[in-house]
Amino acid sequence: MLVATLCMSSSLAACMRHGGYEPHPDGGDPERGRAAIAELECGACHRIPGVPGAWGQVGPPLDEYSRYVYVAGQAPNVPDVLVRFVRDAPSIAPDTAMPAIEMTEAQARDIAAYLYSLK
Amino acid sequence: MAQLIHKPRRKVVLLVTGAILLVILGGVGGIVMLLSGAYSTAATTQHFRITHRLLDAGLRYSVRSYARDVEVPALDAPGMFERGASCYQTYCVQCHGAPGIGRDAEGRGMLPIASNLAQSAREWPPEWLYYVTKKGVRMSGMPAWEFRMSEDSLWSTVAFLMELPFLSHAQYAEIAQRANLECELPEQAPTSVDEDYAKIVFRQYACHSCHRIEGVVGPKSYVGPALVDWSKRKYVAGVLPNNEENLVRFIRDPQAVSERSLMPNLEVTDVHAREMARYLLALE
Repeated sequence: MLVATLCMSSSLAACMRHGGYEPHPDGGDPERGRAAIAELECGACHRIPGVPGAWGQVGPPLDEYSRYVYVAGQAPNVPDVLVRFVRDAPSIAPDTAMPAIEMTEAQARDIAAYLYSLK
Repeated sequence: MAQLIHKPRRKVVLLVTGAILLVILGGVGGIVMLLSGAYSTAATTQHFRITHRLLDAGLRYSVRSYARDVEVPALDAPGMFERGASCYQTYCVQCHGAPGIGRDAEGRGMLPIASNLAQSAREWPPEWLYYVTKKGVRMSGMPAWEFRMSEDSLWSTVAFLMELPFLSHAQYAEIAQRANLECELPEQAPTSVDEDYAKIVFRQYACHSCHRIEGVVGPKSYVGPALVDWSKRKYVAGVLPNNEENLVRFIRDPQAVSERSLMPNLEVTDVHAREMARYLLALE
């Protein structure tokens, strides 16, 4: 009964296995990604759960990011796109206000892995 | 003696306890039914006959009550029938069909099924037809056309509907072929500007099918960004500074602002876009 009530009041999805697509970038490590997000100060613009101080309101909040269908509203949210986008946003969305940020390919993979761990 | 005094009180206690138990049992039953997956949401599973009749009766009583104060204008003014025919051809025939004309694929297997309007127009007074057309019907596929048609076009549609039962197939076909008047978009916001109205506007443009919007009940959608704390956001679509004018521009023509944006152009009127923008900018 309690479970049922909880399921209905929060999100039913949490109580059901849903369909299938779960994006994972090859070789990305969510924990290293969390550290990279903090180091690169992504939280200055975005709200990112699990990253201390990431309360930015310039860009959209990234809660439950793995469920989002599109990156920057312009391209499908799949690992290759996201890995490129976090590092070089204008290469995916030429008109975006999000700047290209200096980081290694490995860091970009880690960051994507962390964002995809947000469900 | 003491027993005599207590007896009716005991009855009340029993009755109340019984009622509470029934409500709890019903609730538990409902939850079990829901979570077990036994309830079929397939459009091939018809309601029980009694449920169908009850819903039907409920619709009539509700429409009768809400349409009570509607004042019917003259329905024979010049051009009304023709404009109504155009609106019918543009927006109604797909789901409702017409004399001798079947509905399109999407209109055939709906549950509940969209009414045959030749029959509705025989049985329902014009103010009911107007109300249902204007406001739509919840939990059916019927949208609120007040967000897609001007007041004049709504009444023109009703004027046309009133004639529908008396048209042969040949007559309808000829009228449909001639129907080339524009079904006008709403000229302005139909009611006063307020927060509740803005929520209706969002829903009537299907915004909540892609965005979770603070204060608006809808699906847990992750297609577009969540529209929360919007006044604090610095950019619209990640491109333009966030203010009312830019929001209105983007809502009305997303690709003009950001060429590759996947947000579709929903032909939002200026008034409605403004309503949305103001609502969003008031979210702190």
